[in-house]
Amino acid sequence: MRGLVAGLLAFAVYFIVQVAVFHSIKVTRRATVLVTIWIAGLAVYAGLYAALPDDSALWPAPFVAASDGLTFTCGVLLYFFLFMGYAQFIYMAESSVGARTMIELSVNPEKGLTLEELTGRYRHDWMLGRRLARMVQAGYLIEENGWYRTTGRGRLVAGVLAHCKRVLCLGPGG
Amino acid sequence: MLKGLFLASGGLLIFLVAHVALFRWFMPERRFVAMVRLAAAIGVGMIAFHRMIPSDLGFLPASSTGAGWGVDLLNGTLVYGFLFIGYCMFYFLVDRGFSGRIMIEIEQSPERRLRRQDIVARYSMEAVLRRRLGEMLEIGRIVVKEGRFCNTAKGQSAAAMFAFVKRFLQLGEGG
Repeated sequence: MRGLVAGLLAFAVYFIVQVAVFHSIKVTRRATVLVTIWIAGLAVYAGLYAALPDDSALWPAPFVAASDGLTFTCGVLLYFFLFMGYAQFIYMAESSVGARTMIELSVNPEKGLTLEELTGRYRHDWMLGRRLARMVQAGYLIEENGWYRTTGRGRLVAGVLAHCKRVLCLGPGG
Repeated sequence: MLKGLFLASGGLLIFLVAHVALFRWFMPERRFVAMVRLAAAIGVGMIAFHRMIPSDLGFLPASSTGAGWGVDLLNGTLVYGFLFIGYCMFYFLVDRGFSGRIMIEIEQSPERRLRRQDIVARYSMEAVLRRRLGEMLEIGRIVVKEGRFCNTAKGQSAAAMFAFVKRFLQLGEGG
C-alpha cells in the first residue's frame, strides 16, 4: 500500500501545482508543461514514499506488502496512469467537438440552436485551421504554398491509424 | 504483487483479442458499450481467478509473492482498469481522431498532398459535427426540439463543467 498511497498523494500534489500554473500563466505549449510538471513530481513521489511508514505499521495483513522495488514501481505506475487519465481529460475539455457544442448550446438552454446557427458560432474553417496549425507545429504535417503533406512521423501515425481502423472495421471515422 | 500484475496484463491481452474478434465478426451497433461490457466481464473473471490460483502462479520467485492478497488484488485491478482506460483513449483516437483522419486523407490522395479545400471536399466538417450531435443525442446529452438542438440537464451540467475547466485553466474556447 505504501507505493499506491505515495502515488495517489504525488498525483494530488501534481494536480494542485498544474492547476495553479495553468490558472496563473497562459500556457502555450501545454503538453510540454504537463509532462515537465509530471517529471518533477517523480521527486515528490520519492520523497513521499520515503516519508511513509512500512505497511505493517498501518495496514491489516491482507494489505501488507514489503517495501521493495516492486512496491515502489507499482506506486510510480499509479502516478503515471493517473497522469495519463488526467491529461486525456484536459485534452477533451480543450479540443472536444462535443464539449464545445454543449457549451455553445448552453448559452441559451431553452431555445437551443439549429445546425446552421451552431455552425455560425463554431465555424468549420476555424475547426480545420486549428487542427492543421497544430499538426504543423507538432511536426506531423508540412505546409508548402498552401499544400499540406505528411512528415515521416505523420506518415507513420497515419499508417498505424488506418491499419487499426481496418482491423476493427471502424470505417473512415473522424 | 507480481501475480496481480500478470493477471492484469493477461486480462488486457484477452480483452484485446476478444475485442478485435467481436468488432470483426459481430460489428456491434453500440461499440463503446460493447467494449465496456466485455472489459467488465473479463475484469470480474480476473478477480475470481485471482482468488483461486496460488500466489506464485507456479513459476514466480518466492521474493515476489510475499504481499497480502488484498494489496495484490487492488494493485492488479487498478492496473487492469487503467490499461483499459488507456486503450479506450487509443480507440477513440483511431475511431474519431480529427487529426488522424486528415493525415490518412493526405496519405491516401494520389499526390500524397492536399490543399485545405481538398481536405474539406474529402472530409466534411459538417459530417463531423453531425456525427457528434448524433452521438450526443444517443447518450442523452442533447435533444431536438422543433428542429433545434438543446442541452438536456445532463448536457447542461457537462457544458458548465467544461466551460469552467476551460476558463479556470485558460484553455481558450477550443473545440
